[in-house]
Amino acid sequence: MILVAMWLFGIVGFILFIPRKDWRMGLFAFLMFQAIIWLCDMPSFQFGLLSAPVREFPKATDLPVTIDYLFYPALFSIFYVNKKVRASLWYSFTYYFIWITATTLFDSMLEKYTGLLEYKLLTWYGMWIYIGFLFYTSEICCNWFYKDKSRYKQNEGGGTS
Amino acid sequence: MRLEWWILLAVYIVTTGIIFFIPKNKIRLAVVAFLFKQVITFLIGLVVVELGLLEYPIRLFASINRTSFTFEYYVFPVVCAVFNVWYPEEKRKLIKISYYVIITSIMTILEVMIERYTDLLQYIHWEWYVSWISLICTFIIARLFCVWFFAKE
Repeated sequence: MILVAMWLFGIVGFILFIPRKDWRMGLFAFLMFQAIIWLCDMPSFQFGLLSAPVREFPKATDLPVTIDYLFYPALFSIFYVNKKVRASLWYSFTYYFIWITATTLFDSMLEKYTGLLEYKLLTWYGMWIYIGFLFYTSEICCNWFYKDKSRYKQNEGGGTS
Repeated sequence: MRLEWWILLAVYIVTTGIIFFIPKNKIRLAVVAFLFKQVITFLIGLVVVELGLLEYPIRLFASINRTSFTFEYYVFPVVCAVFNVWYPEEKRKLIKISYYVIITSIMTILEVMIERYTDLLQYIHWEWYVSWISLICTFIIARLFCVWFFAKE
């Protein structure tokens, strides 16, 4: 049930909270976050920081596919697209803080009330740092990608149509 | 160290080497192709392993992941990135089609060799042409995505 809800909310949230013109950016943020969360989750699960007892592909992988593959990347893309580009330090800090805290809250609720996640060595503040790290790394990568928008349109937009 | 681990190491080195052949002004195209391909291969990889069509007896992160992290997360996406970067955009249709066919065939031949001579990959209910078809489909989808992504609005 919760898995279905996450799929629904992930997709609907993406459509609702990201303006049509920013879909490319949203999708890029989605892809970037996904690549990073897989990469970070592999070692975390391998070394037993956390585990996912109930999961989508129990035979193929021990990782939670819905969370890693769809839901958190969708959250991140909403986060990224709606972030103000030129904002004060204070604003950015609060923005980060709220998003990461909300995600962590959600994550620990999943941990506590469902079998979808199970923290082992990890604690909730560990998760907070972990999610913060994921968001921050992905954001740096996305910022790099969009650093010089005019140039990327010229060089690559023309050659790939 | 077993032969298979050496192969994996070699695969990593060669794949990383390929990255350096991407021209700097196309790096963003490469990144998009890489990320998008990764999404597809990772999901398909999970599904085929879950259904028991393939198995990867020797793999990275063995205790938690039964799919091939190396191929699905790194090698295929890199190949796809390079594929898109060198795509013969201005050439005739025939050349484009043969470009698809040749790259897919090379990948499939390598895969079949890996399947036959090493323990990295084991076909269960799988044939080489299924690989070929699925590879070419993912290349086409990734290409379409890249074209859409970089299209001028």
